[in-house]
Amino acid sequence: MSHAIDTVPSVVGIDPFTPRLLQPLARALLRVNQVMVTLGMLALLVASVVLTSSVVSRYVMKASTDWQDEAAVFCLVGATFLCSAFVQSLRGHVGIEAIAGLLPDSVNRFRALFVDALSALFCAFFAWKSWTLFHEAWAEGHTTSSSWAPPLWIPYGLMAAGMTLLTLQIVVQLTARLNAITKGSPS
Amino acid sequence: MSMLSLGLLFGVVTLFFMFSGAPIAFALGAVATLFMYLFMPASALNTVTQNVYEEMASITLLSIPLFILKGAAIGKSRAGQDLYAAMHVWMGRIPGGLGIANVFACALFAAMAGSSPATCSAIGSAGIPEMRKRGYSPGFAAGIIAAGGTLGILLPPSITMILYAVAAEQSLGRLFLAGIFPGVLLVTLFAVYAAMRYRKEYRLAEAEFKRSGAASALLTNETFSNREKFEMLPRVVPFVLLLIGVMVALYGGFATPSETAGLGALLALGLIAVIYGVWRPKDVAPILTSTLKESTMLMLIIGMSLLFSYVMSFLHISQSTAEWIVGMNLSKWILLAAVLLMVILLGFFLPPVSIILMTAPIILPPLKVAGFDLIWFGVLMTIVMETGLIHPPVGLNIFVIKNIAPDIPLGDIIWGVLPFVVLMLLAVVLICVFPGIATALPDAVMGVAGAKA
Repeated sequence: MSHAIDTVPSVVGIDPFTPRLLQPLARALLRVNQVMVTLGMLALLVASVVLTSSVVSRYVMKASTDWQDEAAVFCLVGATFLCSAFVQSLRGHVGIEAIAGLLPDSVNRFRALFVDALSALFCAFFAWKSWTLFHEAWAEGHTTSSSWAPPLWIPYGLMAAGMTLLTLQIVVQLTARLNAITKGSPS
Repeated sequence: MSMLSLGLLFGVVTLFFMFSGAPIAFALGAVATLFMYLFMPASALNTVTQNVYEEMASITLLSIPLFILKGAAIGKSRAGQDLYAAMHVWMGRIPGGLGIANVFACALFAAMAGSSPATCSAIGSAGIPEMRKRGYSPGFAAGIIAAGGTLGILLPPSITMILYAVAAEQSLGRLFLAGIFPGVLLVTLFAVYAAMRYRKEYRLAEAEFKRSGAASALLTNETFSNREKFEMLPRVVPFVLLLIGVMVALYGGFATPSETAGLGALLALGLIAVIYGVWRPKDVAPILTSTLKESTMLMLIIGMSLLFSYVMSFLHISQSTAEWIVGMNLSKWILLAAVLLMVILLGFFLPPVSIILMTAPIILPPLKVAGFDLIWFGVLMTIVMETGLIHPPVGLNIFVIKNIAPDIPLGDIIWGVLPFVVLMLLAVVLICVFPGIATALPDAVMGVAGAKA
């Protein structure tokens, strides 16, 4: 039985066209992504447990539930951003492929480069702005506005780290595609 | 730059980035930041990430990964096959019962898993081979499953509805309730059609038998003993209880929708651990990994779509377009038809998630001015987007089925699915004529609209 999402083949190694210079980075990303996925799994489970405990503590212990929602948000935001590079490594971020099928192969390669370059630029920008946000929240001690008031640098840091990984992942994939084209072999 | 040219430029750039094939999340984010850079105060760019974070950090939106987890837990276990087998055994007597059993199994599974592709693959992988073995034409079998799977986004907990509730600022509990009767209506329509189509195929098979003596499998009768029927129950009942328990927790006022998501995910994992022995980290990891893949992709699209809508509204593009639509003074029903037609067209290319978040700021204000109930419209829009899941060229469910049953030609699947698209549009018309189908249940449970829960 397979989910639609599983039709994306799981990449075990790194793209053979990855430039030699970037191969250590590609391998490191592979390992880091595995760690992030494990963290993501834990975050999902923790979020479920926290939200369930929220129901239980309200009805059984009559305790107030002020921190559970925020804790779950932090877990799930963290899981989303930290795992985004892993999903990208499987090319699991869906796009509209309707046009791609109609273009001749030669044009399509450049389209693929454009797509990766666009994604890399955007994600790099986003990662940079996440780090400045993180720094601001850290330096000025920003917290959320709830009564629990956890520091905001936690989710901002997770977002910044995740977007940085994602950017690196796309850059590695972009260079591999570029390399494949210049070497004249089909990517 | 005039409003019109700015709006057009925005539209053209969006189309170009989207159709370049870039991941939807990055394409939307790039359009948003580009227009921020060009047309908004420089300080705007500094708050891009804060914007995305603040939009995403809503516990309602973040219940989506947990609903996906609940669906994956059920979808990746044998629950789908068992549910299907039980339905098959219990409905074997009715003419066309097998087809109807498949529709029912899809609906029940969809209500537990909340995902259309998951429903298609879980019920379809058992149901399609069985229907074909019993002489159903391949297209018909595929159509039943593809259409049955779409119920996943109409019955609670529907991810599409969570997004609509957030985008339209409507009560999620109400919206979930509003989807139930329309869901039942669709199940009924699908079941009636399945029975009629079965009789037609049966008559053809009978005529063929009389003419050539070649007996189709359709003509053999299949009966199950009561013992077989009751043996199936222990495996299905816990899941039905889970479904009911989650509903009671949500509507009995015990839990918020997001708490329900967490509770449901944990219970689903617990159930498959107890019933199917899926508890070792090695067994649970694939469920969690596939949840992460799907939810990360969706949440990034959602975050970036929200940024996109923010820019669109900051530049007054959405407001101006909405005012323009209101200014056309279309009659109420023409406006509704035009909006639904646009949703159908967008459904050719975009997943429901992006359709809702990108269009809500434009289409909802005119609809509100025209006096439509936004909960009721949410149900209509969901059904219309469901058709997008089963019609070409994107029709996700069609490709899921192509994966399960690669030997059925795509053409057969598409022809098999089309009658169901017609039935869904019929349901849309019925709900327009009798709005109570959608609004009666939430009004009865949560009080008449206006007193928002």
